[in-house]
Amino acid sequence: MKSLAGFIVSALVLSAIAFMLGSYQTDVYRKMLLWVTLALSYNFLFGIAGQVAFSHFTFYGIGAYAIVILIFQVGLPLPLAILVGIAICVLLALVVAIPATRLAGFYLALATLAFAQLFIVVLDEGGSVTGSAGGLANYRLPDFFGTKVSGPSYTVVIVMLMLATLAILWRLDRSWFGRACRAVRDDPEAAQAMGINVARTKIVAYTVTSALAGVAGMAYAFVDNTVNPPIFGLENSFMLLFMVIVGGSGRHAGAIVGAALLYVMPLVLSPIIGHHHALVFGVFMVAVVLFQPKGLIGIWDWFKLQLERRSQV
Amino acid sequence: MSEPALLSCSGLGKRFGGLVAVEDIDLEVQAGEILGVIGPNGAGKSTTFSMIAGALPWSTGSLRFNGENLDGLPTHAMAARGIMRTFQHNKPFASMSVRENVMVGMHTQFSGSLWRVLLGMRSAAKAEREAVRRADELVDFVGLSEWRDADVGTLSFGQGRLLEIARGLASEPKLMLFDEPAAGLTPSECDRLSAIIRQISRRGIAVLLIEHDMRFLMALADRVVVLNFGRKIAQGTPAEVQADAGVVSAYLGDVGALADA
Repeated sequence: MKSLAGFIVSALVLSAIAFMLGSYQTDVYRKMLLWVTLALSYNFLFGIAGQVAFSHFTFYGIGAYAIVILIFQVGLPLPLAILVGIAICVLLALVVAIPATRLAGFYLALATLAFAQLFIVVLDEGGSVTGSAGGLANYRLPDFFGTKVSGPSYTVVIVMLMLATLAILWRLDRSWFGRACRAVRDDPEAAQAMGINVARTKIVAYTVTSALAGVAGMAYAFVDNTVNPPIFGLENSFMLLFMVIVGGSGRHAGAIVGAALLYVMPLVLSPIIGHHHALVFGVFMVAVVLFQPKGLIGIWDWFKLQLERRSQV
Repeated sequence: MSEPALLSCSGLGKRFGGLVAVEDIDLEVQAGEILGVIGPNGAGKSTTFSMIAGALPWSTGSLRFNGENLDGLPTHAMAARGIMRTFQHNKPFASMSVRENVMVGMHTQFSGSLWRVLLGMRSAAKAEREAVRRADELVDFVGLSEWRDADVGTLSFGQGRLLEIARGLASEPKLMLFDEPAAGLTPSECDRLSAIIRQISRRGIAVLLIEHDMRFLMALADRVVVLNFGRKIAQGTPAEVQADAGVVSAYLGDVGALADA
């Protein structure tokens, strides 16, 4: 019940913020929330299930393109388009996962990297369906059961999506499934001996997290009201990896901190030092990996430990 | 031996290319029995162990467990049917606490679907609390209570072995396989281990023990199977096996060591 109260308070606070922002701040806030959402699910895939996959941002793109194409070209109503969009993400995730999760480490990374590249090629060559290199634009979120959702209320939708993603991953992590994922990551041979179906566990983890990324992509499609190939390039897949590592791999709080920080950092730094912000980013990354391999959340753990020790003395 | 055996291997064999590692092994384990398997290096003990544990497919013969043919089953399916093992070189899940390690061992007991977890069903939460309680019981049973929340990295090798046992027992197996459990333990740890293995068999769980340490094995086993060059050369009670001239000459050689045991 304590965690439920925490979720309600977070929902109220994060939603209240949505009503206090100007248009530029709203844009930053929404994108930050989406990065956090993505980092949370990527943290489960990479940090908890131990799969070094570079396809996560691709599923974000698949979700975004799917919802736009399904509504404006196929003509589905919004709720149905969301369901079909999720189904597409799940199906594609299975297609990738069933062969790819037989691979591990380096080879899984390569296979998912190839999938990510293939997606960009399909977008570029997709003709009028994907809008080719120019992408799709000039569309608006249709009314949801007769209500127009825009401005701060759309930001609230994203807040709820982020919290729902966190709640799902939280539950999974603290269940037998989360333990199975960690066991497979730590030692697949021992996990198998404990009766864990390693391949199935990997496939389910990949599919669930990829579908969550797809849903986040659907929300993104109506933030900028345009989707185009450069947005879903590899650069952002690596960014997700950095966010999870900097924050603290395997920890929900780490993913939140890492994503918020790395997304906001260039926005704050570039007005001050211009393009040098990339240099600061690089130095910061190296420093965290060298001095705080458990991520920024490790600093928090250290403080907590010190406080506990102090109170014991 | 009127009751059908819990585990029975018949004609079990393994070839690696042209090399015959194990050939034509017949052995049976009854419920609640401690069966020891001994043999010099290269006798095929580990290969036999790996096949029964489901980690290695066999080339010939068959394996029946609890009335079911296990041919072609993957490792996790063998575990789900009640065959659990320990690893000779301890394989704990490094990122987890002692308790969590034991809880992973309960995996086959969690039959609830993922939807139950996602929807936050009470039954899922209840199963989880029950799992914590049972894990703590097992941690107490092997004597690791003080280290319940400890990082597994802080355990000694001997404690790690005890954790392996608790983790294996967590699924309530019918058969526990021990791969040289005494290897690397101090004499006092060996005594503890003996006591624990006896208690396990008293709970009605069959034990198959592969071991180098004669003193340890002979004192513990109800029956012993002797392997040499990939074949079974003798079986019987520890006393019978120790008296078997063929075993003494073909394998044991050092009669002095036997007299001590």
